[in-house]
Amino acid sequence: MMPIFTAILIAALLIIITGFFCLTQTRNLLRVIIGIEVAMKGVTLLLAFAGFINGNYDLVQAFIITVIVMEVVVAVVAAGIAVRVYEKNDSLDIRKLTKLQG
Amino acid sequence: MNVMGLLFYILLALMLCFGVAAVLMRNLVKAALCLAGSSACLAVILCFLAAPWAAIFELSVCSGLITVITISAISLTTPYTKDEENELIKQRRTRYIALPFILLIVGVVSGYALLNGQTSLMPVMAYASTFASFKEVLWQLRQVDILGQIIMLLAGVFAVVVLFKERDEA
Repeated sequence: MMPIFTAILIAALLIIITGFFCLTQTRNLLRVIIGIEVAMKGVTLLLAFAGFINGNYDLVQAFIITVIVMEVVVAVVAAGIAVRVYEKNDSLDIRKLTKLQG
Repeated sequence: MNVMGLLFYILLALMLCFGVAAVLMRNLVKAALCLAGSSACLAVILCFLAAPWAAIFELSVCSGLITVITISAISLTTPYTKDEENELIKQRRTRYIALPFILLIVGVVSGYALLNGQTSLMPVMAYASTFASFKEVLWQLRQVDILGQIIMLLAGVFAVVVLFKERDEA
């Protein structure tokens, strides 16, 4: 069977690719949030793995907590933007965002 | 292989499956729940990787709060009509059909490269005792991170207040 550390690296890589694939293919603003969150799961796993490999668990935990806080802020602001866009356009489709000014 | 090792592999596979399901699921609420499942699996994996504080945050914030935020945003929108949904299903099939193949190819290639490469990934436990404790790291060494987090949270609150402020349409 595959060594456990190799399995972690491959799982993290695959989940990051899944998130980025979602970001490139989706046209729904709420799915963009889901894509970002999925990719961030892979990043969090890689960070924890890096800490475990070099034995510096506590520094990595501080980094992971920072990443999680940023994830929440991004999710909240993105959800707020998505709801406002829906109120304006009656759609979450990014192809219909043609009335932006600026 | 012991039971804990087997459990670790199962959790990794579950996390990946929930992540892929969150992307492929047609129903947005189910997709959000799959994302929560992926976070829960990651939280247990973090416990295995000696990061219990990060696991608590992952479980409570990512698996709980972000799911609530996403489902709240979904509840503020209206579902598609039958015709729109049928059209969307056709489009999604063509757009997402490549994902399983991409994952399979990347998984096989990276697995082959890592197993046959010269890299040895072994934990360096000997250095572990030289590092500061979690409390010292968070409150003494990474104070700038805490400040950054507070600023980002305040910026997020400000953004939400501005976004949901009642506008004078006249």
